[in-house]
Amino acid sequence: MTEEKEKNPEIVGFACSFCTFKASEMAGSLRMKYPDGIKLIQVPCSSRVDPAFVIKAILDGADGAFVAGCHPGDCHFIKGNYFTRRKIAALKEMFDAFSMKDKLRLFWVSAAEARRFVEKVTAMYGDIKEKKNAG
Amino acid sequence: MRTGIFICHCGHNIKHTVDVKKVSRFFKDFPTVVVSEDYPFVCSEPGQDMIEEAIKKHGLDRVLIASCTPSLHGELFKDLLKKSNLNPFLLRRVGIREHCSWVGDDPGPNTEKAIKLIKAGLYASAHYVPLEEKKVDVVKSALIIGGGVSGLSAALFLSRMGMKVYLVEKADHLGGHVGALKNIWPAREDGKSAVIDPMVSELGIMENVEIFTSTTLSAFEGFFGNYQATLNTPGGVKTVVAGGVIVAVGFSPFDPRLKPELNYGRDDRIMTTLEFEERKEGLSKDPRVAILHCVGSRDEQVNKPYCSRVCCINALRAANAIKVRHPDAYVESFYMDMRAHPKGGEEFFEETQELGVLFTRSNIGEIIPSSGGLLLRGEDTLLGETFEREFDYAVLSTGMSSPEDSKLISSLLKVTLDKDKFFLEAHIKLRPFDTAVKGIFIAGTCSGPKDMEESINHGRASALKLFGFLNLGYAFVDPFISWVDPKRCSGCRMCEQACVAKAIKYDEQKRIAHVEEAACMGCGLCNATCPSSSISLKGHMDSAIDDEIGAMIEGQSLVASL
Ligand SMILES: Cc1cc2nc3c(=O)[nH]c(=O)nc-3n(C[C@H](O)[C@H](O)[C@H](O)COP(=O)(O)OP(=O)(O)OC[C@H]3O[C@@H](n4cnc5c(N)ncnc54)[C@H](O)[C@@H]3O)c2cc1C
Ligand code: SF4
Ligand code: SF4
Ligand code: SF4
Repeated sequence: MTEEKEKNPEIVGFACSFCTFKASEMAGSLRMKYPDGIKLIQVPCSSRVDPAFVIKAILDGADGAFVAGCHPGDCHFIKGNYFTRRKIAALKEMFDAFSMKDKLRLFWVSAAEARRFVEKVTAMYGDIKEKKNAG
Repeated sequence: MRTGIFICHCGHNIKHTVDVKKVSRFFKDFPTVVVSEDYPFVCSEPGQDMIEEAIKKHGLDRVLIASCTPSLHGELFKDLLKKSNLNPFLLRRVGIREHCSWVGDDPGPNTEKAIKLIKAGLYASAHYVPLEEKKVDVVKSALIIGGGVSGLSAALFLSRMGMKVYLVEKADHLGGHVGALKNIWPAREDGKSAVIDPMVSELGIMENVEIFTSTTLSAFEGFFGNYQATLNTPGGVKTVVAGGVIVAVGFSPFDPRLKPELNYGRDDRIMTTLEFEERKEGLSKDPRVAILHCVGSRDEQVNKPYCSRVCCINALRAANAIKVRHPDAYVESFYMDMRAHPKGGEEFFEETQELGVLFTRSNIGEIIPSSGGLLLRGEDTLLGETFEREFDYAVLSTGMSSPEDSKLISSLLKVTLDKDKFFLEAHIKLRPFDTAVKGIFIAGTCSGPKDMEESINHGRASALKLFGFLNLGYAFVDPFISWVDPKRCSGCRMCEQACVAKAIKYDEQKRIAHVEEAACMGCGLCNATCPSSSISLKGHMDSAIDDEIGAMIEGQSLVASL
């Protein structure tokens, strides 16, 4: 039996400038580690994320995509993340219909939560990697 | 298109785990790339000169700098482009330090990731167009929330500079905690008469200052340069307009009741350093006194992992004061580490040791009161042994907790708190006075423990920054606003419903929507909502983001073949 090379996932994350992107910057400054397969796209607000972006990421070959913004109630643009929540919930249903629910996540990470950022992305990466390498 | 790519080593910070030479070589072959160089420090003067020269020599029309995170040195590099007669919005920053070299250790994958991130930036910047910075009128007035030393010093600075100041204080008098300190370190003066009264009386005669005591903020809206704050004053609700805000709501003293094992509040022989100030005359003769450091600081159990900075010196002062009054008293100080922080603190620590105060490095488990005395149980962390000792009094040096109203103010102003519920600075080292929201600053202990001197300095520095923002009466803000393509708009009005800023207006006659530039906040929600794809958010166009996504995924093999 030949040893198979591990398959490493590629995950595209859409991160809000005011919170999650800031948290990721802090995670970097604190030298926290997370997999290189996680790559971020900075958006002014999570509500800027058109569901079409998420679909494009998956169609282009990403193993997963996430949208991350400020905690509900904390949006710099007042209510943007409530719209995000609704849109992503609808998108998740669509993903579910195609049996790819696991490819999409939405999470809230404030600017101060560098550790939470790392935990969230690492967990997502781990789950997707496990599926990718199974069978 | 003529793009110049400049890859920073950041000394060892990036070069250590990213093969910068390989990265710069990789981009040399791109048809749209004219220059691709790596350089030890692109933010240094020679680094900037190199970029400026390259822009001129090669007639670059896009500049991509791959270095530290985009929020650092933003203005510096923008100015560099302006100096070279290039529109600053043709600059793209890619963070290969905070998002690459610092979060991964392996040079192979890191180099590959850096290439993908830069490629995403390259593709996205191909869609960039020159933008005009938006000029907005700003109101030359400041709202200061909190009238402790930090808020007072900010108010004084701004009023002396001729700016209108609204100072809002929740309590019925100004001064905050300092007003209650009888003996401030290192001046050894009364806080109210030596510090607060002179500040308050000067503010009182300034014509451009309006002071609202017993007042709280109940609503807040608007944009940088034109914020509207609703105040609940004793005389009713009042609205003020301010160009910017300084948050100076201070701290809450840690309540030692949250550590029930210390029995504070149940036995009056157990007191805080502040109560000790009041009671030190009345102690029995030659008492046995335990002084506890770090009560409510550096303590994961009560969720306060940070050092409060002023409590070591307060503990030392209590210990010292007892020994001065009662040279034969038995005074033992229980500390974790000695952080005799402000000026003169170390010398005072030595002086106190010489008076005969005993210092035991320890963790205190509990204080058990009985009729005979207070039994203290703890662990000596140098000897690794547990001990029990009896005292007549215990003095708790309590630390600072986040301000009571931090949650309220943060949600009204949309500014972020850190994990300890203190206000979060935009960058702890480089922008310690700003919040992430333009025109909203923080001052004093509301962003973390500080002594008076630091709080005053913080207040003045924030005031100075705000003054610089507002003084001209106008300012430039990012032109990231949305635009409706009238040819594509179907008039469905979805965008109008979504926009919280009410920036979208519907033209009944033409049956299309358009964006009021002045009101648009640049969130991009309408852009992501419009079913006809007729709205574009300048600076964050669909096409740019689409290509950025593509670049991050494509070309695995390209990199591998290097
Ligand atoms: C026990 C103790 C002893 C100390 N001794 C010294 C010392 O000897 N020397 C020294 O240099 N430092 C000392 N300090 C530190 C000093 O007290 C602080 O540095 C200083 O008080 C910080 O000032 P501030 O303006 O940030 O906050 P504060 O003094 O807390 O003032 C904040 C003000 O904001 C008001 N406020 C709060 N919420 C609102 C709201 N929602 N709306 C309007 N107003 C609001 C409060 O009523 C208060 O007046 C000591 C601290 C402690 C705990
Ligand atoms: S200043 Fe001293 S007592 Fe206060 S938290 Fe820091 S180490 Fe503990
Ligand atoms: S970008 Fe945001 S604020 Fe501007 S018009 Fe669109 S929804 Fe309104
Ligand atoms: S959502 Fe799009 S199509 Fe509908 S009114 Fe707004 S701009 Fe026009």
